[in-house]
Amino acid sequence: MGEKKIVAFCCENSSYKAAEAVAVTESSVLDLVDIVRLPCSGKVEIGMVLKCLEKDHPGVLILSCPVDNCKYITGNVRAKKRVKMVKKALQNAGIDENRVHMDFISSVDTYKFITIVKEMNDRLLKDRPPAGHD
Amino acid sequence: MVKGFKNLLILGCGSCVTVCMTGGEKEVGILASTLRLANKKKGVSMEIIEDTIERQCDREFFDDVKDKIEQADAVLSMACGVGVQFCSEIFSGKIVLPALNTKFYGATEEQGVWTERCAGCGDCVLDKFGGVCPIARCSKSLLNGPCGGSQDGKCEVDPENIDCGWQIIYDRLKSLGLLSRLEENEPVKDWSSGRDGGPGKIVREDMLL
Repeated sequence: MGEKKIVAFCCENSSYKAAEAVAVTESSVLDLVDIVRLPCSGKVEIGMVLKCLEKDHPGVLILSCPVDNCKYITGNVRAKKRVKMVKKALQNAGIDENRVHMDFISSVDTYKFITIVKEMNDRLLKDRPPAGHD
Repeated sequence: MVKGFKNLLILGCGSCVTVCMTGGEKEVGILASTLRLANKKKGVSMEIIEDTIERQCDREFFDDVKDKIEQADAVLSMACGVGVQFCSEIFSGKIVLPALNTKFYGATEEQGVWTERCAGCGDCVLDKFGGVCPIARCSKSLLNGPCGGSQDGKCEVDPENIDCGWQIIYDRLKSLGLLSRLEENEPVKDWSSGRDGGPGKIVREDMLL
């Protein structure tokens, strides 16, 4: 089994659409991530994120709609609060909290999507072999 | 607290602590994942099992996890203080540890906010104070309040966060047209039904098997 990839929890109203556009233009970036499609980033739960790290995924991205532009009004705000709790749990466990990163992107932010994934991957590469390679 | 154990069972409770989002199935998963990550980082070998039962304050629900508890070196209970003690009592040879820090028994004021309402002290006086308890909601548990520390409806103990219980009592009785009740002096409470009487015990003869 290959090296595990970064898990990206993507809101289907924004970052998931950006990922679909990336698939057309620069699909190699998508080899670096396992995308989990969510109806809203507010669906992301603390346990889900921790479980990914427990299962040896190098990092987790939570990509929600831009601030003040959530389809469900406060879903991204909820997600942000949960990410804060995840980081607190990681601190308690002595794990680098930067293995979890949240960002806010719109459906047309393909460049930002690519940048976020690449930056996360580069950051994690310092400690691990490249993700997405056997 | 869990250092040195090789097999740890994290046991959640499906009742009050689940509703309060502190000790239910989800929180068991979060704690277990956090501990596993911490152990992995430190190179500690510890088998962590997760389970959640309906209630930890009723004997019969422990039957479902009896084997798991017996196999574990210790149980990390995510129930309230009652559940931790009851689990420890039922499995007398087992180390049972508290995962939570039980502070009080209260109501969900809004999602994510819980406040104390009842001190469970017996000889209830709620009928006299418009349904607002002066024991649990006044910081000084005054029966003939308010004290001089009540300012603008807030309590001097923590004006930012604590409403004056006696202001609430006054406002409630006023809205009910029952302010005259406050003209009566409330006699000293019989605390023998509360902490002074020792650990509480209630026996319903008609319910005994």
